[in-house]
Amino acid sequence: MAALLSVQNLRAAYRLANGVELHAVDDVSIDLREGEVLGVVGESGCGKSTLATILALNAAPPLYVKSGTMQVQGRHADLTESDPLPRSERGKLISTLPQSAMNAMNPTTRVRDLAYDVLRAHERTTRKAAWGRAGARLEQLGLPTRVLERYPHELSGGMRQRVITVISTLLDPTILIADEPTSALDVSSQRAVVEMLKDLLARKIISGVLFITHDLPLLRHIADRVAVMYAGKVAELGPTERVINTPEHPYARALVGSILVPEPHIRAARVLGIPGSPPDLAAMPKGCRFHPRCPLADTRSREEVPPLVEVGDSGSHFAACWRTLEARQLLAGNLVGGPDGRVG
Amino acid sequence: MNPFGRYLLNKLFWYLLAFVAAMALNFFLPRLIPGNPVDAIVSQMAQGGGASGEAMQRVYDTYIVEFGLDKSPLEQFISYLGNLFRGDLGTSLGNYPTSVNSLIGAALPWTLALQLPTILLGWILGNILGALAAYKGGWVDRGAFLGSLAFSSIPYYGLAILLLYTFAVALPWFPTGGAYGFASSPSWTWGFIADAFRHYLLPFLSLLLVVIGGQAIGMRSMAIYELGADYVGYERSLGLREPRIVRGIFRNAMLPQITGLALSIGALAGGALITEIVFSYPGLGTVLFDAIRQNDYPVIQGVTMLITVAVLAANFLVDLTYGLIDPRIRTAHGAGA
Repeated sequence: MAALLSVQNLRAAYRLANGVELHAVDDVSIDLREGEVLGVVGESGCGKSTLATILALNAAPPLYVKSGTMQVQGRHADLTESDPLPRSERGKLISTLPQSAMNAMNPTTRVRDLAYDVLRAHERTTRKAAWGRAGARLEQLGLPTRVLERYPHELSGGMRQRVITVISTLLDPTILIADEPTSALDVSSQRAVVEMLKDLLARKIISGVLFITHDLPLLRHIADRVAVMYAGKVAELGPTERVINTPEHPYARALVGSILVPEPHIRAARVLGIPGSPPDLAAMPKGCRFHPRCPLADTRSREEVPPLVEVGDSGSHFAACWRTLEARQLLAGNLVGGPDGRVG
Repeated sequence: MNPFGRYLLNKLFWYLLAFVAAMALNFFLPRLIPGNPVDAIVSQMAQGGGASGEAMQRVYDTYIVEFGLDKSPLEQFISYLGNLFRGDLGTSLGNYPTSVNSLIGAALPWTLALQLPTILLGWILGNILGALAAYKGGWVDRGAFLGSLAFSSIPYYGLAILLLYTFAVALPWFPTGGAYGFASSPSWTWGFIADAFRHYLLPFLSLLLVVIGGQAIGMRSMAIYELGADYVGYERSLGLREPRIVRGIFRNAMLPQITGLALSIGALAGGALITEIVFSYPGLGTVLFDAIRQNDYPVIQGVTMLITVAVLAANFLVDLTYGLIDPRIRTAHGAGA
């Protein structure tokens, strides 16, 4: 399958006033395939939102991209530049779906005027024509056209998020970077936004979604593949069901285990939370970044950074861990040993 | 009645109440000043000599009756209100028998000519400077911000005295006071206009710089706040054109500035009293200053009433336009009132 979006060796840091650099994203490479939803999951501070900001081409001081390239539909962009893509490509090649629609919309602009501004920035159009197109798109996706007349504060939270999804995809962008688009919503509104994204993909209005969230169960409903991030690095990457059912990286396993999932075979592999907390970005541990919290860490884990390598034989499942083999053996032993077996 | 109409009526009622309260204060406060205006007039006449004590007493009594000072304060207040509604502000005691209306009528144009251009021009320039500082950042920002801070921190009369001393006394480039030279009288000739302009420049500048500074600081902080808003990043990532985004930012940043403009236009009548005194400018400030020195109740009342009405009207206007400009407030009014 052809890669729609290919990000290579992305490194980015926040520069503090005292000159210290916090490496929030460290050597991340990610491919997004045609027609795919790639979920990026991790706890707070793992770098997933920083990744979204950079891919949305919104990096601004104090965030600096140290290295990284991006390829979108044959176009090559250097992410360290201040404007990796010309303005005319923004919103068309790559668009963003932000977390809080309330803050992402100018409070004194009606929905229809935002729609007009978005369309007008990329093509010659009239106010009437733009409103007509926005209205048609709303209807197509099952939303009432009267929301066009509304100001952001006049819409409910769930409706606002759906309306902004329509605005974000008004230009039929190739790729949509969705940064926690459902995090502030109730369950039924989350569902509505997720269904809408699927609908947009099915109608080929958009060709791929990078879906950033801390909500792993939600990803089961939408993501084809999942990347688990920890301390600025990709810890594990693979098809959603494989990552959730047979996580290979101890952190991914702990993350999956910390969520209530009804299936017994997952419950069996459950750990009791994750001891410790994510590392301070200013004082990153040597070697594997998870080693201070990892029950399986050995000398090599403490010294050498594990690369992201293929695990198993699926050809699509990767993990960055020196101890995957041992972990699997231990897990197998535990499963035989007792019904509520734990790792470590 | 629709909610907005009800809201308006409610507001109007409170403004009327505030007006009556202000009028009462206007009336009674000057009368608390020790002394009596008739004393001053009579003692001035007595200095001329000639008249006997008995004749003086008769003159005194005549003035007391003429000005209605023999009646009880409440009766005086009621007749004052009655005259007010007929548009009659009474007769000046200090410049008897000139009417207060004509005193204010002569002074008001000078005050307006001094204040209206400073407020409008200062508001426009200040907002542009503040917006530019916020948008450009760096050295532009630092320079504009420090300059604005300095000028807005100096009391306006302090700057007036500073300018007066520097450019009229130490460097005698400009006249030290008045609205025009002693030799000329107001007329629409080029000579007079040039003369009036020379007298105008220093008081104008002393007020303008302060207004620019204050407005620039307000606009800058509002614009910086708006520039950091999430919607700016979102609009950029959708590829909106920069002028389009900037327009949205500044429209939002302008909202509180518009309140400021309306309020300063309201405070215009009384806004630069001391500037006028410093430059002996023949505006309302000078009239009020003289009236206070002479216990000239009707003139004090007339000027303060004008100021009160202007401030109340401006506030009312702000209440109205704010609802029209900001949809969020419109909704709140509709729901709450």
